Amino acid sequence: MARTDISDDPMASSQTTVPTTTDPILELRGVDVTFDMDRGQSRVIDDVNIDVQRQEILGVVGESGSGKSMFASALLDAVVNPGTLSGEVTYRPDPDTDIDVLDLSDSDLKRLRWEEISMVFQGAQSSFNPTLSVRGHFTETLKAHDYDVAEGLERARELLEDLYLDPDRILDSYAHELSGGMQQRALIALSLVLEPNVLVMDEPTAALDLLMQRSILSLLNELQDKYDLTVVFITHDLPLVAGLADRLAVMYAFQFAEVGPAREVVLDAAHPYTRALLRSVPNLDIPLEEMQAIEGSAPDPVDAPEGCSYHPRCPLATEECRIEDPPFETVETGHYAACYHHESTAKAVPFDIEDHAPEATEEWP
Amino acid sequence: MTSTRYYTKRLGQSVVTVFAVVTLSFVLIRLMPGGPVDYLRAQYIQQNLSPEEVQEKIALYTNIRTDETILEQYVGYMTSLAQFDLGRSIFYDRSVSAILGEAIPWTVLYMSIALCLMFVIGVSLGAFMAYREGSYFDTLSTLTAIVANSVPYYIAAILLVYALGFELSVLPTSGRMNPDTVVGMNVQFVLGVFAHAALPVLSLVVTGFGGKAITMRGNAISELGEDYLRVARLRGLSERRIALRYVARNAILPMYTGMMISIGTMFGGSVILEMIFAYPGVGYYVFKSISARDYPLMMGGFILITVAVVIGVLIADLTYGKLDPRAGGESDEAF
Ligand code: SF4
Repeated sequence: MARTDISDDPMASSQTTVPTTTDPILELRGVDVTFDMDRGQSRVIDDVNIDVQRQEILGVVGESGSGKSMFASALLDAVVNPGTLSGEVTYRPDPDTDIDVLDLSDSDLKRLRWEEISMVFQGAQSSFNPTLSVRGHFTETLKAHDYDVAEGLERARELLEDLYLDPDRILDSYAHELSGGMQQRALIALSLVLEPNVLVMDEPTAALDLLMQRSILSLLNELQDKYDLTVVFITHDLPLVAGLADRLAVMYAFQFAEVGPAREVVLDAAHPYTRALLRSVPNLDIPLEEMQAIEGSAPDPVDAPEGCSYHPRCPLATEECRIEDPPFETVETGHYAACYHHESTAKAVPFDIEDHAPEATEEWP
Repeated sequence: MTSTRYYTKRLGQSVVTVFAVVTLSFVLIRLMPGGPVDYLRAQYIQQNLSPEEVQEKIALYTNIRTDETILEQYVGYMTSLAQFDLGRSIFYDRSVSAILGEAIPWTVLYMSIALCLMFVIGVSLGAFMAYREGSYFDTLSTLTAIVANSVPYYIAAILLVYALGFELSVLPTSGRMNPDTVVGMNVQFVLGVFAHAALPVLSLVVTGFGGKAITMRGNAISELGEDYLRVARLRGLSERRIALRYVARNAILPMYTGMMISIGTMFGGSVILEMIFAYPGVGYYVFKSISARDYPLMMGGFILITVAVVIGVLIADLTYGKLDPRAGGESDEAF
């Protein structure tokens, strides 16, 4: 995985290392999402810096309320009112073209969304208009973007077939006539009908059973290959995405805590939160005596703690952590953790998953 | 097929309902103290008619043969009913079907105008309120709508007759056409008809649009909060398409049933209104028949009101599933 590299970006020079990649298709720098509320400003994305590498699958993992859905919306400049998005989001359809996403005109933004960067939401049924057939959704999307409808429907059929669905039956149905798995797959097809480069998926499998989750992940892998997609897969379920993603980015309290190659993050997590997260999930078959819930609760977006936002829950917290927010530090090439003590976390938060790492999960889709 | 079976079943239910209501009215009329037969008999005896003549006249007017058992009478009444023979009006001395048949178009005329206006005004106002939820416009309109909706239409009717009819004399207060005009397709006549319909229409619309507006507002607000609206915007659909094909359509559909039922209840709702405006439509004759103890006409009016409601509900039931795929009922959900 030599596609990641330490940056010499000037933005990163003030001692801050930014988790960059070699050929980013999306680049976020100093991105904030804020909501003004009665009791103060709610910062649901806090100074986020990250790259999304072209044609990778990036798994974004976080607890609910960590800001991961906002992160998804930020990628399409689709933060809902009254939220405000600031900072820099750069989209590179090819390595030499920079598009400043937050500076686009309405019509260019309309083109960016769905034609370049598309999104699949949690809860597929609520993503479809209940009184419009699935075909209607495809047609109206094609028309709205001035695509050739007949050609587009051909592509829709192919996509539906790629997703092991019967195109005629699905197109003629209404969302409520389909099962959860079918709806989710139909929604994926809808999100790809304008041939976007990037697919952002926000908890796309949350409402599905385990079997369907896995079959959707394997289909996603096939689609990514076939259509050269870049996928940002957002989930609370680390083990689910660990076997699928090339890289993992762990979110805690509206920021990224750790970013790195998936295998390395799972086997050798450097941030105490990532390790705690890995220990709290049963799916990785870690010994039961080592399994533990993360103590404490997730921070409040209005009143985030001083210093490292994880310090109230962190067993390694020192004075330094309480005062200053830790910058990203390089653990290994391409592997970053925002923690002062990342070198000692392995000892402090131990667990043993050698034989259960993603590589060993070949039976996974 | 399931849907055919459903239609047949629903149609059967409606026939049974009408049948039951007619039977009930038939029985009730015979249970009423001083029922029509006694009333007629007393009248004819006063006119010094012979008992045979009395019997004959009673039979002619009411389809009731007093010398038969109640069961035979019932069968007889139902048989003539099946031939659309509703008997003869005592008060007007004309066949009930002729009276009602002539009155129906007038009631339908102003009622459909009123229902259309009520619906159009209510729906558009409600949609605007939803789009400006929380604004002064919304608050003010909600207040107006609630106040207007709480006024009974007959109170509004009396106030309107007083204000627009007597005080300002801008609209006629009674009748259904201008007596000086020639009946037919000429401007004077048509204008007269609309002028006479204006006050009844106005009283219904003023007191009726508020309810529709508030329902529409609520439906539209919940539509506006739906996830699929957000997805539709991200997919690049125009605000116009979203407003019409998403918000408006999905918010109006649940109101469709109510709309069909109000069409069904238009004759029932016309009784007091037509009395106030002395507007000779169905309600006017029903009211007259009650005060004049004109039982055959009363019976005919009741049957008409019942049948209209039953048909309205039936149409609503049978067509709603076609319009709103969410209401598929027996949908073949696949897993
Ligand atoms: S910086 Fe300090 S408090 Fe934050 S995770 Fe690292 S050790 Fe814990």
